[in-house]
Amino acid sequence: MARAVTTQRKAINTTIAWAIGLLIFFPILWTILTSFKTEGEAVANPPVFLFFDWTLENYAVVQERSNYMRFLWNSIIIAGGSTLLGILVAVPAAWSMAFVPSKRTKDILLWMLSTKMLPAVGVLYPIYLLCIELGVLDSRAALVVILMLINLPIIVWMLYTYFREIPGEILEAARMDGAGLKEELLYILTPMAVPGIASTLLLNFILAWNEAFWTLNLTAVDAAPLTAFIASYSSPEGLFFAKLSAASTMAIAPILILGWFSQKQLVRGLTFGAVK
Amino acid sequence: MAAADTRADFRTRMQNWLPKIVLAPSVTLMLIFVYGFIFYTIYLSFTGSRMLPSYDWVGLRNYENLFRLSHWEIAITNLGIFASLYIIICTLIGLSLAIFLDQKIRGEGFLRPIYLYPMALSFIVTGTAWKWLLDPGIGIEATMQTWGFTEFTFNWIKDRDMAIYTIVIAAVWQTSGFVMAMFLAGLRGIDNEILKAAQMDGASNWSLYRRIIIPQLRPAFLSAFVILSHLAIKSYDLVIAMTDGGPGRATELPATFMYSYTFTRNQMGIGASSAVIMLMTIAAIMIPYLYAELREKK
Repeated sequence: MARAVTTQRKAINTTIAWAIGLLIFFPILWTILTSFKTEGEAVANPPVFLFFDWTLENYAVVQERSNYMRFLWNSIIIAGGSTLLGILVAVPAAWSMAFVPSKRTKDILLWMLSTKMLPAVGVLYPIYLLCIELGVLDSRAALVVILMLINLPIIVWMLYTYFREIPGEILEAARMDGAGLKEELLYILTPMAVPGIASTLLLNFILAWNEAFWTLNLTAVDAAPLTAFIASYSSPEGLFFAKLSAASTMAIAPILILGWFSQKQLVRGLTFGAVK
Repeated sequence: MAAADTRADFRTRMQNWLPKIVLAPSVTLMLIFVYGFIFYTIYLSFTGSRMLPSYDWVGLRNYENLFRLSHWEIAITNLGIFASLYIIICTLIGLSLAIFLDQKIRGEGFLRPIYLYPMALSFIVTGTAWKWLLDPGIGIEATMQTWGFTEFTFNWIKDRDMAIYTIVIAAVWQTSGFVMAMFLAGLRGIDNEILKAAQMDGASNWSLYRRIIIPQLRPAFLSAFVILSHLAIKSYDLVIAMTDGGPGRATELPATFMYSYTFTRNQMGIGASSAVIMLMTIAAIMIPYLYAELREKK
Protein backbone atom coordinates (compact mmCIF):
# COMPACT_ATOMS: atom_id res chain seq x y z
CA MET A 1 0.00 0.00 0.00
CA ALA A 2 1.29 3.36 -0.90
CA ARG A 3 0.92 5.55 2.11
CA ALA A 4 3.03 8.50 3.09
CA VAL A 5 5.57 7.46 5.70
CA THR A 6 8.07 9.97 7.03
CA THR A 7 11.75 9.10 6.97
CA GLN A 8 12.02 9.17 10.73
CA ARG A 9 8.98 6.95 11.14
CA LYS A 10 10.43 4.58 8.60
CA ALA A 11 13.73 4.33 10.49
CA ILE A 12 11.93 3.56 13.76
CA ASN A 13 9.70 0.98 12.10
CA THR A 14 12.67 -0.67 10.45
CA THR A 15 14.52 -0.89 13.76
CA ILE A 16 11.56 -2.45 15.51
CA ALA A 17 10.96 -4.90 12.68
CA TRP A 18 14.57 -6.04 12.83
CA ALA A 19 14.42 -6.34 16.61
CA ILE A 20 11.37 -8.59 16.29
CA GLY A 21 13.16 -10.58 13.62
CA LEU A 22 16.10 -11.07 15.97
CA LEU A 23 13.75 -12.09 18.78
CA ILE A 24 12.07 -14.66 16.54
CA PHE A 25 15.38 -15.97 15.28
CA PHE A 26 16.94 -16.05 18.74
CA PRO A 27 16.16 -19.65 19.79
CA ILE A 28 17.51 -20.89 16.46
CA LEU A 29 20.57 -18.64 16.63
CA TRP A 30 21.23 -19.72 20.20
CA THR A 31 21.11 -23.38 19.24
CA ILE A 32 23.58 -22.80 16.41
CA LEU A 33 25.97 -20.78 18.62
CA THR A 34 25.80 -23.31 21.43
CA SER A 35 26.80 -26.09 19.09
CA PHE A 36 30.23 -24.43 18.79
CA LYS A 37 30.80 -24.05 22.52
CA THR A 38 32.33 -26.43 25.00
CA GLU A 39 29.91 -28.04 27.45
CA GLY A 40 31.15 -25.69 30.17
CA GLU A 41 30.53 -22.58 28.12
CA ALA A 42 27.17 -23.91 26.94
CA VAL A 43 25.73 -23.74 30.44
CA ALA A 44 27.96 -20.89 31.62
CA ASN A 45 26.33 -18.29 33.82
CA PRO A 46 26.10 -15.55 32.69
CA PRO A 47 25.85 -16.98 29.17
CA VAL A 48 28.54 -16.16 26.65
CA PHE A 49 27.21 -14.87 23.38
CA LEU A 50 29.97 -14.68 20.79
CA PHE A 51 33.25 -14.52 22.67
CA PHE A 52 34.08 -18.11 23.41
CA ASP A 53 36.53 -20.59 22.00
CA TRP A 54 34.77 -21.81 18.89
CA THR A 55 35.13 -25.55 18.60
CA LEU A 56 33.93 -28.29 16.30
CA GLU A 57 34.41 -30.93 18.94
CA ASN A 58 30.68 -31.42 19.57
CA TYR A 59 30.09 -32.40 15.98
CA ALA A 60 32.83 -35.00 16.12
CA VAL A 61 31.55 -36.42 19.41
CA VAL A 62 27.95 -36.62 18.21
CA GLN A 63 28.99 -38.54 15.12
CA GLU A 64 31.29 -40.82 17.07
CA ARG A 65 28.91 -41.65 19.88
CA SER A 66 25.65 -42.12 18.10
CA ASN A 67 26.55 -42.70 14.50
CA TYR A 68 24.85 -39.52 13.44
CA MET A 69 25.48 -40.16 9.76
CA ARG A 70 23.08 -43.08 9.77
CA PHE A 71 20.21 -40.90 10.98
CA LEU A 72 21.12 -38.24 8.45
CA TRP A 73 21.17 -40.81 5.69
CA ASN A 74 17.77 -42.15 6.77
CA SER A 75 16.36 -38.62 6.71
CA ILE A 76 17.71 -38.02 3.23
CA ILE A 77 16.39 -41.33 1.88
CA ILE A 78 12.97 -40.96 3.47
CA ALA A 79 12.43 -37.30 2.58
CA GLY A 80 14.00 -37.58 -0.87
CA GLY A 81 12.43 -40.94 -1.72
CA SER A 82 8.91 -40.00 -0.68
CA THR A 83 9.14 -36.72 -2.57
CA LEU A 84 10.36 -38.30 -5.80
CA LEU A 85 7.82 -41.09 -5.60
CA GLY A 86 5.10 -38.54 -4.92
CA ILE A 87 6.10 -36.50 -7.97
CA LEU A 88 6.00 -39.61 -10.14
CA VAL A 89 2.49 -40.46 -9.02
CA ALA A 90 1.27 -36.86 -9.06
CA VAL A 91 2.58 -35.53 -12.37
CA PRO A 92 0.12 -37.48 -14.55
CA ALA A 93 -2.79 -36.61 -12.27
CA ALA A 94 -1.89 -32.91 -12.19
CA TRP A 95 -1.26 -32.89 -15.93
CA SER A 96 -4.65 -34.40 -16.60
CA MET A 97 -6.49 -31.95 -14.37
CA ALA A 98 -4.63 -28.91 -15.63
CA PHE A 99 -4.86 -29.56 -19.36
CA VAL A 100 -8.03 -31.56 -19.67
CA PRO A 101 -10.20 -30.09 -16.93
CA SER A 102 -13.64 -31.52 -16.45
CA LYS A 103 -16.59 -30.25 -14.49
CA ARG A 104 -15.40 -32.14 -11.46
CA THR A 105 -11.77 -30.99 -11.47
CA LYS A 106 -12.21 -28.22 -8.89
CA ASP A 107 -14.13 -30.53 -6.58
CA ILE A 108 -11.56 -33.30 -6.85
CA LEU A 109 -8.75 -30.86 -6.04
CA LEU A 110 -10.50 -29.40 -3.06
CA TRP A 111 -11.35 -32.85 -1.80
CA MET A 112 -7.72 -33.93 -2.15
CA LEU A 113 -6.51 -30.90 -0.24
CA SER A 114 -9.08 -31.37 2.49
CA THR A 115 -7.70 -34.81 3.25
CA LYS A 116 -4.37 -33.22 4.16
CA MET A 117 -6.07 -31.44 7.03
CA LEU A 118 -7.28 -34.62 8.68
CA PRO A 119 -5.27 -35.74 11.71
CA ALA A 120 -2.77 -38.52 11.19
CA VAL A 121 -4.13 -40.33 14.26
CA GLY A 122 -7.17 -41.24 12.18
CA VAL A 123 -5.14 -43.61 10.04
CA LEU A 124 -2.47 -44.66 12.54
CA TYR A 125 -3.99 -48.04 13.40
CA PRO A 126 -4.52 -49.47 9.94
CA ILE A 127 -1.08 -48.33 8.83
CA TYR A 128 0.60 -49.60 11.97
CA LEU A 129 -1.13 -52.97 11.73
CA LEU A 130 -0.43 -53.21 8.02
CA CYS A 131 3.25 -52.56 8.68
CA ILE A 132 3.35 -55.34 11.26
CA GLU A 133 1.49 -57.67 8.91
CA LEU A 134 3.94 -56.98 6.07
CA GLY A 135 6.94 -56.99 8.39
CA VAL A 136 8.00 -53.50 7.34
CA LEU A 137 7.85 -51.76 10.69
CA ASP A 138 11.00 -49.69 11.20
CA SER A 139 11.92 -49.81 7.52
CA ARG A 140 12.77 -46.91 5.26
CA ALA A 141 10.67 -48.29 2.42
CA ALA A 142 7.51 -48.18 4.52
CA LEU A 143 8.14 -44.58 5.53
CA VAL A 144 8.86 -43.55 1.95
CA VAL A 145 5.45 -44.89 0.92
CA ILE A 146 3.59 -43.49 3.92
CA LEU A 147 5.07 -40.00 3.66
CA MET A 148 4.40 -40.06 -0.07
CA LEU A 149 0.73 -40.78 0.63
CA ILE A 150 0.59 -38.14 3.35
CA ASN A 151 1.93 -35.43 1.06
CA LEU A 152 0.38 -36.59 -2.20
CA PRO A 153 -2.56 -34.15 -2.01
CA ILE A 154 -0.22 -31.18 -1.63
CA ILE A 155 2.02 -32.43 -4.44
CA VAL A 156 -0.85 -32.96 -6.89
CA TRP A 157 -2.39 -29.65 -6.09
CA MET A 158 0.85 -27.66 -6.26
CA LEU A 159 1.79 -29.23 -9.57
CA TYR A 160 -1.71 -28.48 -10.83
CA THR A 161 -1.40 -24.78 -10.00
CA TYR A 162 1.99 -24.60 -11.73
CA PHE A 163 0.83 -26.53 -14.80
CA ARG A 164 -2.16 -24.27 -15.16
CA GLU A 165 0.15 -21.32 -15.63
CA ILE A 166 1.47 -22.90 -18.83
CA PRO A 167 -0.49 -21.16 -21.58
CA GLY A 168 -2.73 -23.45 -23.60
CA GLU A 169 -2.13 -21.45 -26.80
CA ILE A 170 1.36 -22.83 -27.02
CA LEU A 171 -0.02 -26.35 -27.13
CA GLU A 172 -2.52 -25.42 -29.78
CA ALA A 173 0.17 -23.82 -31.88
CA ALA A 174 2.28 -26.96 -31.56
CA ARG A 175 -0.64 -29.13 -32.56
CA MET A 176 -1.22 -26.96 -35.61
CA ASP A 177 2.35 -27.59 -36.58
CA GLY A 178 1.67 -31.28 -36.35
CA ALA A 179 3.16 -32.13 -33.01
CA GLY A 180 1.80 -35.34 -31.53
CA LEU A 181 1.20 -36.14 -27.92
CA LYS A 182 4.75 -37.36 -27.55
CA GLU A 183 6.37 -34.25 -29.00
CA GLU A 184 4.01 -32.11 -27.00
CA LEU A 185 5.03 -33.77 -23.77
CA LEU A 186 8.71 -33.99 -24.51
CA TYR A 187 9.55 -30.66 -26.14
CA ILE A 188 6.93 -28.26 -24.87
CA LEU A 189 5.39 -29.33 -21.60
CA THR A 190 8.41 -30.81 -19.87
CA PRO A 191 10.72 -27.80 -20.21
CA MET A 192 7.94 -25.45 -19.13
CA ALA A 193 6.96 -27.63 -16.20
CA VAL A 194 10.44 -28.02 -14.73
CA PRO A 195 10.39 -24.88 -12.51
CA GLY A 196 7.04 -25.86 -11.02
CA ILE A 197 8.19 -29.40 -10.39
CA ALA A 198 11.36 -28.11 -8.74
CA SER A 199 9.38 -25.84 -6.41
CA THR A 200 7.07 -28.69 -5.48
CA LEU A 201 10.05 -30.93 -4.84
CA LEU A 202 11.57 -28.36 -2.52
CA LEU A 203 8.45 -27.84 -0.44
CA ASN A 204 7.74 -31.52 -0.06
CA PHE A 205 11.28 -32.31 0.84
CA ILE A 206 10.95 -29.83 3.70
CA LEU A 207 7.60 -31.26 4.80
CA ALA A 208 8.89 -34.82 4.72
CA TRP A 209 12.13 -33.86 6.44
CA ASN A 210 10.22 -32.33 9.35
CA GLU A 211 7.58 -35.01 9.59
CA ALA A 212 7.63 -36.41 13.09
CA PHE A 213 4.36 -38.19 13.85
CA TRP A 214 4.99 -41.10 11.51
CA THR A 215 8.73 -41.27 11.87
CA LEU A 216 8.48 -41.34 15.67
CA ASN A 217 5.70 -43.91 15.75
CA LEU A 218 6.87 -46.29 13.07
CA THR A 219 10.64 -46.39 13.52
CA ALA A 220 12.83 -47.70 16.28
CA VAL A 221 16.45 -48.14 15.25
CA ASP A 222 17.06 -49.07 11.65
CA ALA A 223 14.99 -46.47 9.86
CA ALA A 224 15.02 -43.70 12.47
CA PRO A 225 15.65 -40.30 10.86
CA LEU A 226 16.97 -37.13 12.49
CA THR A 227 13.65 -36.16 14.07
CA ALA A 228 13.62 -39.43 15.99
CA PHE A 229 17.28 -38.95 16.88
CA ILE A 230 16.70 -35.48 18.34
CA ALA A 231 13.57 -36.60 20.15
CA SER A 232 15.43 -39.45 21.78
CA TYR A 233 18.03 -37.03 23.10
CA SER A 234 15.69 -34.28 24.18
CA SER A 235 15.86 -35.38 27.81
CA PRO A 236 18.64 -33.53 29.59
CA GLU A 237 20.26 -36.75 30.81
CA GLY A 238 20.80 -38.15 27.36
CA LEU A 239 23.15 -35.77 25.69
CA PHE A 240 24.81 -32.64 26.91
CA PHE A 241 23.54 -29.30 25.83
CA ALA A 242 26.30 -28.40 23.40
CA LYS A 243 26.18 -31.81 21.75
CA LEU A 244 22.42 -31.73 21.47
CA SER A 245 22.76 -28.30 19.86
CA ALA A 246 25.27 -29.68 17.40
CA ALA A 247 22.89 -32.49 16.47
CA SER A 248 20.00 -30.02 16.17
CA THR A 249 22.03 -27.64 14.03
CA MET A 250 22.89 -30.41 11.62
CA ALA A 251 19.24 -31.41 11.50
CA ILE A 252 18.01 -27.91 10.61
CA ALA A 253 20.90 -26.71 8.44
CA PRO A 254 19.49 -28.07 5.15
CA ILE A 255 16.11 -26.52 5.92
CA LEU A 256 17.62 -23.15 6.84
CA ILE A 257 19.09 -23.10 3.34
CA LEU A 258 16.17 -24.62 1.42
CA GLY A 259 13.63 -22.61 3.41
CA TRP A 260 15.17 -19.38 2.22
CA PHE A 261 14.42 -20.26 -1.39
CA SER A 262 11.02 -21.76 -0.85
CA GLN A 263 9.32 -19.33 1.51
CA LYS A 264 6.61 -18.58 -1.06
CA GLN A 265 5.82 -22.23 -1.64
CA LEU A 266 5.86 -22.84 2.09
CA VAL A 267 3.14 -20.27 2.71
CA ARG A 268 1.22 -21.42 -0.33
CA GLY A 269 1.45 -25.09 0.58
CA LEU A 270 0.76 -24.77 4.29
CA THR A 271 -2.27 -22.54 3.78
CA PHE A 272 -3.70 -24.97 1.22
CA GLY A 273 -3.73 -22.31 -1.43
CA ALA A 274 -5.51 -19.69 0.65
CA VAL A 275 -2.45 -17.50 0.00
CA LYS A 276 -1.27 -17.40 -3.57
CA MET B 1 -8.59 -45.63 -45.76
CA ALA B 2 -10.58 -47.64 -43.27
CA ALA B 3 -7.45 -48.56 -41.36
CA ALA B 4 -6.49 -44.91 -41.02
CA ASP B 5 -9.98 -44.18 -39.79
CA THR B 6 -9.87 -46.72 -37.01
CA ARG B 7 -6.45 -45.47 -36.04
CA ALA B 8 -7.65 -41.91 -35.81
CA ASP B 9 -10.67 -43.13 -33.94
CA PHE B 10 -8.49 -45.00 -31.49
CA ARG B 11 -6.37 -41.92 -31.03
CA THR B 12 -9.23 -39.62 -30.20
CA ARG B 13 -10.64 -42.20 -27.86
CA MET B 14 -7.25 -42.51 -26.20
CA GLN B 15 -7.02 -38.77 -25.88
CA ASN B 16 -10.40 -38.70 -24.22
CA TRP B 17 -9.63 -41.50 -21.85
CA LEU B 18 -5.99 -40.87 -21.06
CA PRO B 19 -6.61 -37.94 -18.67
CA LYS B 20 -9.00 -40.08 -16.65
CA ILE B 21 -6.67 -43.06 -16.66
CA VAL B 22 -3.70 -41.09 -15.38
CA LEU B 23 -5.78 -39.37 -12.75
CA ALA B 24 -7.07 -42.65 -11.42
CA PRO B 25 -4.02 -43.84 -9.43
CA SER B 26 -3.84 -40.69 -7.30
CA VAL B 27 -7.55 -40.64 -6.63
CA THR B 28 -7.66 -44.36 -5.85
CA LEU B 29 -4.67 -44.14 -3.52
CA MET B 30 -6.27 -41.30 -1.63
CA LEU B 31 -9.65 -42.98 -1.47
CA ILE B 32 -8.17 -46.09 0.09
CA PHE B 33 -5.68 -44.29 2.23
CA VAL B 34 -8.07 -41.72 3.61
CA TYR B 35 -11.53 -43.20 3.64
CA GLY B 36 -10.69 -46.88 3.77
CA PHE B 37 -8.32 -46.40 6.66
CA ILE B 38 -10.53 -43.96 8.50
CA PHE B 39 -13.44 -46.37 8.27
CA TYR B 40 -11.21 -49.05 9.70
CA THR B 41 -10.34 -46.78 12.64
CA ILE B 42 -14.02 -46.01 13.17
CA TYR B 43 -14.77 -49.72 13.08
CA LEU B 44 -12.01 -50.45 15.63
CA SER B 45 -13.48 -47.86 17.96
CA PHE B 46 -16.59 -50.05 18.26
CA THR B 47 -14.65 -53.21 19.08
CA GLY B 48 -12.99 -54.50 22.20
CA SER B 49 -9.50 -54.35 20.63
CA ARG B 50 -6.67 -54.13 23.09
CA MET B 51 -3.12 -54.94 22.05
CA LEU B 52 -4.20 -56.42 18.72
CA PRO B 53 -7.39 -55.75 16.83
CA SER B 54 -10.23 -58.01 17.74
CA TYR B 55 -13.56 -57.99 16.03
CA ASP B 56 -16.02 -58.38 18.86
CA TRP B 57 -18.55 -55.59 18.64
CA VAL B 58 -18.93 -53.65 21.89
CA GLY B 59 -21.08 -50.79 20.67
CA LEU B 60 -20.41 -47.43 22.30
CA ARG B 61 -18.61 -48.86 25.32
CA ASN B 62 -15.23 -47.41 24.32
CA TYR B 63 -16.74 -43.94 24.01
CA GLU B 64 -18.42 -44.26 27.38
CA ASN B 65 -15.16 -45.37 28.96
CA LEU B 66 -13.22 -42.66 27.15
CA PHE B 67 -15.31 -39.87 28.58
CA ARG B 68 -15.07 -41.34 32.04
CA LEU B 69 -11.25 -41.24 31.99
CA SER B 70 -9.71 -38.34 33.88
CA HIS B 71 -6.75 -38.69 31.54
CA TRP B 72 -8.92 -37.85 28.53
CA GLU B 73 -10.62 -35.06 30.41
CA ILE B 74 -7.19 -33.50 31.02
CA ALA B 75 -6.33 -33.93 27.35
CA ILE B 76 -9.44 -32.18 26.05
CA THR B 77 -9.32 -29.45 28.70
CA ASN B 78 -5.72 -28.81 27.70
CA LEU B 79 -6.70 -28.76 24.05
CA GLY B 80 -9.40 -26.19 24.87
CA ILE B 81 -6.92 -23.93 26.68
CA PHE B 82 -4.18 -24.47 24.16
CA ALA B 83 -6.28 -24.08 21.02
CA SER B 84 -8.14 -20.95 22.10
CA LEU B 85 -5.04 -19.13 23.34
CA TYR B 86 -2.98 -20.30 20.37
CA ILE B 87 -5.54 -19.20 17.78
CA ILE B 88 -6.27 -15.82 19.39
CA ILE B 89 -2.65 -14.87 20.14
CA CYS B 90 -1.32 -16.05 16.77
CA THR B 91 -4.01 -14.12 14.93
CA LEU B 92 -3.35 -10.93 16.92
CA ILE B 93 0.43 -11.13 16.62
CA GLY B 94 0.27 -12.23 12.99
CA LEU B 95 -2.03 -9.36 12.06
CA SER B 96 0.04 -6.79 13.95
CA LEU B 97 3.25 -8.02 12.38
CA ALA B 98 1.67 -7.92 8.93
CA ILE B 99 0.38 -4.36 9.38
CA PHE B 100 3.78 -3.42 10.72
CA LEU B 101 5.73 -5.02 7.91
CA ASP B 102 3.44 -3.30 5.44
CA GLN B 103 4.81 0.14 6.48
CA LYS B 104 7.65 0.06 3.97
CA ILE B 105 10.27 -1.56 6.11
CA ARG B 106 13.83 -1.60 4.84
CA GLY B 107 15.02 -5.11 4.06
CA GLU B 108 11.56 -6.64 4.12
CA GLY B 109 12.62 -9.32 1.67
CA PHE B 110 15.28 -10.39 4.12
CA LEU B 111 13.03 -10.24 7.18
CA ARG B 112 10.13 -12.24 5.79
CA PRO B 113 11.98 -15.56 5.62
CA ILE B 114 13.33 -14.97 9.12
CA TYR B 115 9.80 -14.50 10.46
CA LEU B 116 8.84 -17.67 8.63
CA TYR B 117 11.75 -19.84 9.70
CA PRO B 118 10.20 -21.26 12.89
CA MET B 119 7.40 -22.76 10.79
CA ALA B 120 9.83 -24.31 8.30
CA LEU B 121 11.93 -26.10 10.89
CA SER B 122 11.19 -29.40 12.54
CA PHE B 123 8.98 -28.87 15.59
CA ILE B 124 11.00 -31.54 17.33
CA VAL B 125 14.18 -29.48 17.03
CA THR B 126 12.63 -26.15 17.96
CA GLY B 127 10.66 -27.79 20.76
CA THR B 128 13.90 -29.14 22.18
CA ALA B 129 15.49 -25.69 21.98
CA TRP B 130 12.52 -24.22 23.86
CA LYS B 131 12.71 -26.94 26.46
CA TRP B 132 16.25 -25.86 27.29
CA LEU B 133 15.47 -22.16 27.16
CA LEU B 134 12.57 -22.60 29.57
CA ASP B 135 14.38 -24.98 31.92
CA PRO B 136 14.76 -23.09 35.21
CA GLY B 137 18.19 -24.61 35.86
CA ILE B 138 19.94 -23.45 32.69
CA GLY B 139 17.58 -21.30 30.65
CA ILE B 140 16.01 -17.87 30.98
CA GLU B 141 15.47 -18.12 34.74
CA ALA B 142 19.08 -19.01 35.55
CA THR B 143 20.38 -16.32 33.21
CA MET B 144 18.20 -13.59 34.65
CA GLN B 145 19.23 -14.58 38.17
CA THR B 146 22.95 -14.36 37.43
CA TRP B 147 22.36 -10.99 35.80
CA GLY B 148 21.21 -9.79 39.19
CA PHE B 149 17.46 -10.31 39.02
CA THR B 150 17.57 -12.82 41.85
CA GLU B 151 13.82 -12.64 42.39
CA PHE B 152 13.11 -13.60 38.79
CA THR B 153 11.42 -16.96 38.46
CA PHE B 154 10.13 -18.60 35.34
CA ASN B 155 9.64 -22.27 36.01
CA TRP B 156 6.33 -22.79 34.24
CA ILE B 157 7.62 -25.81 32.36
CA LYS B 158 8.05 -27.67 35.66
CA ASP B 159 4.79 -26.39 37.12
CA ARG B 160 1.73 -28.60 36.65
CA ASP B 161 -0.65 -25.67 36.46
CA MET B 162 1.43 -23.57 34.10
CA ALA B 163 3.20 -26.08 31.86
CA ILE B 164 0.49 -25.98 29.17
CA TYR B 165 1.16 -22.26 28.72
CA THR B 166 4.78 -22.93 27.83
CA ILE B 167 3.48 -25.07 24.96
CA VAL B 168 1.34 -22.09 23.94
CA ILE B 169 4.42 -19.82 23.99
CA ALA B 170 6.46 -22.14 21.79
CA ALA B 171 3.56 -22.80 19.43
CA VAL B 172 2.81 -19.08 19.07
CA TRP B 173 6.48 -18.45 18.32
CA GLN B 174 6.34 -21.21 15.75
CA THR B 175 3.30 -20.02 13.84
CA SER B 176 3.02 -16.23 14.22
CA GLY B 177 5.33 -15.41 11.34
CA PHE B 178 3.39 -17.78 9.14
CA VAL B 179 0.09 -16.15 10.07
CA MET B 180 1.76 -12.84 9.35
CA ALA B 181 2.53 -14.02 5.82
CA MET B 182 -1.14 -14.89 5.34
CA PHE B 183 -2.32 -11.47 6.47
CA LEU B 184 0.42 -9.69 4.56
CA ALA B 185 -0.80 -11.34 1.36
CA GLY B 186 -4.30 -10.16 2.25
CA LEU B 187 -3.10 -6.60 2.90
CA ARG B 188 -1.25 -6.47 -0.39
CA GLY B 189 -4.38 -7.58 -2.18
CA ILE B 190 -6.42 -4.58 -1.06
CA ASP B 191 -7.21 -2.10 -3.77
CA ASN B 192 -5.04 1.00 -3.43
CA GLU B 193 -7.62 3.25 -5.06
CA ILE B 194 -10.08 2.77 -2.23
CA LEU B 195 -7.43 3.64 0.33
CA LYS B 196 -6.34 6.72 -1.56
CA ALA B 197 -9.92 7.88 -1.87
CA ALA B 198 -10.47 7.41 1.86
CA GLN B 199 -7.31 9.30 2.67
CA MET B 200 -8.40 12.17 0.43
CA ASP B 201 -11.61 12.30 2.38
CA GLY B 202 -9.51 12.81 5.49
CA ALA B 203 -9.77 9.37 7.07
CA SER B 204 -7.21 8.88 9.83
CA ASN B 205 -4.87 5.91 9.80
CA TRP B 206 -6.80 4.27 12.60
CA SER B 207 -10.18 4.52 10.94
CA LEU B 208 -8.59 3.45 7.67
CA TYR B 209 -7.62 0.19 9.29
CA ARG B 210 -10.75 -0.26 11.33
CA ARG B 211 -13.28 0.56 8.65
CA ILE B 212 -11.65 -0.46 5.39
CA ILE B 213 -8.62 -2.68 5.76
CA ILE B 214 -9.61 -5.08 8.55
CA PRO B 215 -13.09 -5.77 7.10
CA GLN B 216 -11.48 -6.53 3.76
CA LEU B 217 -9.25 -9.11 5.43
CA ARG B 218 -12.23 -11.31 6.27
CA PRO B 219 -11.13 -14.18 4.00
CA ALA B 220 -7.65 -14.09 5.54
CA PHE B 221 -9.16 -14.27 9.04
CA LEU B 222 -11.29 -17.21 8.04
CA SER B 223 -8.47 -19.22 6.52
CA ALA B 224 -6.16 -18.34 9.43
CA PHE B 225 -8.79 -19.67 11.80
CA VAL B 226 -9.27 -22.94 9.93
CA ILE B 227 -5.55 -23.54 9.49
CA LEU B 228 -4.68 -22.67 13.09
CA SER B 229 -7.42 -24.83 14.52
CA HIS B 230 -6.46 -27.88 12.53
CA LEU B 231 -2.83 -27.35 13.54
CA ALA B 232 -3.90 -27.08 17.18
CA ILE B 233 -5.91 -30.30 17.11
CA LYS B 234 -3.08 -32.13 15.37
CA SER B 235 -0.39 -30.82 17.75
CA TYR B 236 1.90 -33.61 18.66
CA ASP B 237 5.58 -32.97 17.88
CA LEU B 238 5.93 -29.88 20.05
CA VAL B 239 4.50 -31.55 23.15
CA ILE B 240 6.60 -34.65 22.64
CA ALA B 241 9.76 -32.58 22.34
CA MET B 242 9.06 -30.11 25.13
CA THR B 243 7.35 -31.98 27.95
CA ASP B 244 6.33 -35.41 26.66
CA GLY B 245 2.93 -34.76 28.23
CA GLY B 246 4.40 -33.95 31.62
CA PRO B 247 4.97 -32.96 34.32
CA GLY B 248 2.61 -35.76 35.29
CA ARG B 249 -0.12 -35.44 32.69
CA ALA B 250 -0.22 -31.67 32.77
CA THR B 251 0.42 -31.12 29.06
CA GLU B 252 -1.32 -34.16 27.64
CA LEU B 253 -3.20 -33.38 24.40
CA PRO B 254 -5.56 -35.69 22.48
CA ALA B 255 -2.85 -36.78 20.02
CA THR B 256 -0.42 -37.74 22.79
CA PHE B 257 -3.28 -39.38 24.69
CA MET B 258 -4.05 -41.54 21.69
CA TYR B 259 -0.42 -42.47 21.36
CA SER B 260 -0.03 -43.54 24.98
CA TYR B 261 -3.29 -45.52 24.98
CA THR B 262 -2.15 -47.38 21.91
CA PHE B 263 1.48 -48.09 22.46
CA THR B 264 2.02 -48.07 26.20
CA ARG B 265 -1.36 -49.14 27.57
CA ASN B 266 -2.52 -51.44 24.78
CA GLN B 267 -6.05 -50.04 24.72
CA MET B 268 -6.59 -49.92 20.99
CA GLY B 269 -10.37 -49.60 21.22
CA ILE B 270 -10.20 -46.54 23.44
CA GLY B 271 -7.36 -45.07 21.40
CA ALA B 272 -9.43 -45.49 18.24
CA SER B 273 -12.43 -43.81 19.80
CA SER B 274 -10.26 -40.82 20.77
CA ALA B 275 -8.99 -40.66 17.19
CA VAL B 276 -12.58 -40.63 15.92
CA ILE B 277 -13.42 -37.72 18.23
CA MET B 278 -10.45 -35.76 16.84
CA LEU B 279 -11.48 -36.56 13.27
CA MET B 280 -14.99 -35.37 13.92
CA THR B 281 -13.80 -32.14 15.51
CA ILE B 282 -11.63 -31.28 12.53
CA ALA B 283 -14.39 -32.26 10.11
CA ALA B 284 -16.80 -29.99 11.94
CA ILE B 285 -14.49 -27.03 11.32
CA MET B 286 -13.34 -28.02 7.86
CA ILE B 287 -16.54 -29.01 6.08
CA PRO B 288 -18.39 -25.67 6.46
CA TYR B 289 -15.22 -23.89 5.34
CA LEU B 290 -14.79 -26.05 2.25
CA TYR B 291 -18.45 -25.70 1.48
CA ALA B 292 -18.19 -21.92 1.60
CA GLU B 293 -15.02 -22.00 -0.53
CA LEU B 294 -16.69 -24.16 -3.15
CA ARG B 295 -19.77 -22.02 -3.35
CA GLU B 296 -17.63 -18.92 -3.74
CA LYS B 297 -15.62 -20.37 -6.60
CA LYS B 298 -18.60 -21.51 -8.63
